[in-house]
Amino acid sequence: MDFIAKIFAMAIAAIFVQNFVLARFLGLCPYIGVSKKLDSALGMGMAVIFVMTMASTFTWLIQTYLLIPLKLEFLQTIAFILTIASLVQLVEMVIQKIAPALYKALGVFLPLITTNCAVLGVAILNINENYNFIEAILNGLFAGLGFTLVLVLMAGIRERLERAELPHSMKGMPIAMIVAGSMALAFLGFSGLKI
Amino acid sequence: MKYYLKLGIILLIIAATASGILAYINNFTRPIIDKNREEQKAQARKEVLPQAATFDSIMTLNSENVYRGKNDEGKTIGYTMVAALYGYSSNVKTMVGLNSDLQINKIKVIDQKETPGLGANCEQDAFQKQFMGFFLDSLKVDKDGGKIESITGATITSRAVTNSIEKGILTLEKSLSVGKEESIK
Amino acid sequence: MNIFKEFTKGLVKENPVFVMALGLCPTLAVTTSVENAIGMGLAATFVLVMSNIIISLIKNFIPNKIRIPSYIVVIASFVTIVDMVMEAYVPALHKNLGLFIPLIVVNCIILGRAEAFAGKNNVVSSIFDGFGMGFGFTLALIVIGGIREILGVGEFLGFPLLSENYKPILVAILAPGAFLVMGLLMGLMNLAKKKEE
Repeated sequence: MDFIAKIFAMAIAAIFVQNFVLARFLGLCPYIGVSKKLDSALGMGMAVIFVMTMASTFTWLIQTYLLIPLKLEFLQTIAFILTIASLVQLVEMVIQKIAPALYKALGVFLPLITTNCAVLGVAILNINENYNFIEAILNGLFAGLGFTLVLVLMAGIRERLERAELPHSMKGMPIAMIVAGSMALAFLGFSGLKI
Repeated sequence: MKYYLKLGIILLIIAATASGILAYINNFTRPIIDKNREEQKAQARKEVLPQAATFDSIMTLNSENVYRGKNDEGKTIGYTMVAALYGYSSNVKTMVGLNSDLQINKIKVIDQKETPGLGANCEQDAFQKQFMGFFLDSLKVDKDGGKIESITGATITSRAVTNSIEKGILTLEKSLSVGKEESIK
Repeated sequence: MNIFKEFTKGLVKENPVFVMALGLCPTLAVTTSVENAIGMGLAATFVLVMSNIIISLIKNFIPNKIRIPSYIVVIASFVTIVDMVMEAYVPALHKNLGLFIPLIVVNCIILGRAEAFAGKNNVVSSIFDGFGMGFGFTLALIVIGGIREILGVGEFLGFPLLSENYKPILVAILAPGAFLVMGLLMGLMNLAKKKEE
């Protein structure tokens, strides 16, 4: 029971309280860049959830069974970014072979994910927070869910904004930032929430 | 095949060179980093228990050492410990200096990432000074019926600091009394 | 002068943050104070210039197929160097910037310059390009950090700027403030550009 309670608390923290985008400022480029349309936002979100979970798994294993025993912790950044880059490549190839339909939906987003700082961010955070293996995987999953949630919310708002009358110079990026600010303000209400 | 072998070898050379350079710099910076951390803690200990001349570690609490401070003549004059509890949005760590009868001498918040302008004000003197001279029994924030005045708009942070210290002193008291019995034997 | 142009283009005309909207994560995350902004800007500038130098030097030896992984290794090495050196000599700043130092690796500005400039040009112009882009990034961080620090704390670089009666607009240094300030600045830039035309 304790374990389930802890997992639940972790989920709430990663999705709402310390949302990767709105509270930690991770993954902003895709958040602003891929939030113009609802369906591409969903596709990107799914791809990120998948890669973040995988990346959390592999980077945790590499840190624990390779870098720490060999006293090579200073190679963490290089090791993690290469792991993520090759993981993304691998996932791309596998999906292309096994599920062409899924590849068609997610394919364009996958290469973009290597430089999504949320992925490297969650990998490093897992280590900094001393998570164990299961916690690390779940944290990756929850962080991805949190990212997808705000991405989809943002896309929904922006689709409507398209038809709104705005001062010309505020169209596009500037208004997206203002919307993000308002969302962050709303999410601030979650902070301090304790389970 | 040969082409791919060549690719692999080039990548390997780049990665190996990079690791070599990093290992060299790491050898150079690692001792400085470790020394900095140790010095920072030593300084915090000195600040909360300035009367002590030497410190020796007696137990661990919150994965940090608890120190017994002695004066020049080798008499125990107090203890330092790191109290820690989760506050509003981060773990708040406080260095606590205690006299030998476990009265608070001085506290110093050493690590926190609370809301700037609200909870983060727990690092200000006005809040920290209040703790001077407190004993375990009266250690509660005003909202919980105690005498510690909480920071405006940040009761949760104030409570975290106060309760973490209370918890720390309790643990220390318990293990000290066990230690005494042993020394009588 | 051609080289001079490589330097100045990054400051205003192709400013990586305001014009190209690259590197948004560190831009918004660390600009709670001007001090952090300068620290982050200079760290990124160092990585940018050094990786530009190395990449423009070795570009002819690297087959096209492994171009990106090689660039990433070079960039990640310099990021690790910055990380270690900062932790040793400026531990307080290192703690403030925290996670965002290793994340310089995935800052799109740096890989972007490696790919778009250093991989195609000679060393000297790559150095100037690196400095220009780096300072452009730093400048943008200082502007945002300055506005947020003045509004949110009433200080600039730690010096009290506004009268003591000033009640700080706390939200400016919290997360929402970063987005709002950035959005308004981008809007103003657009407005200024339109006026020019």
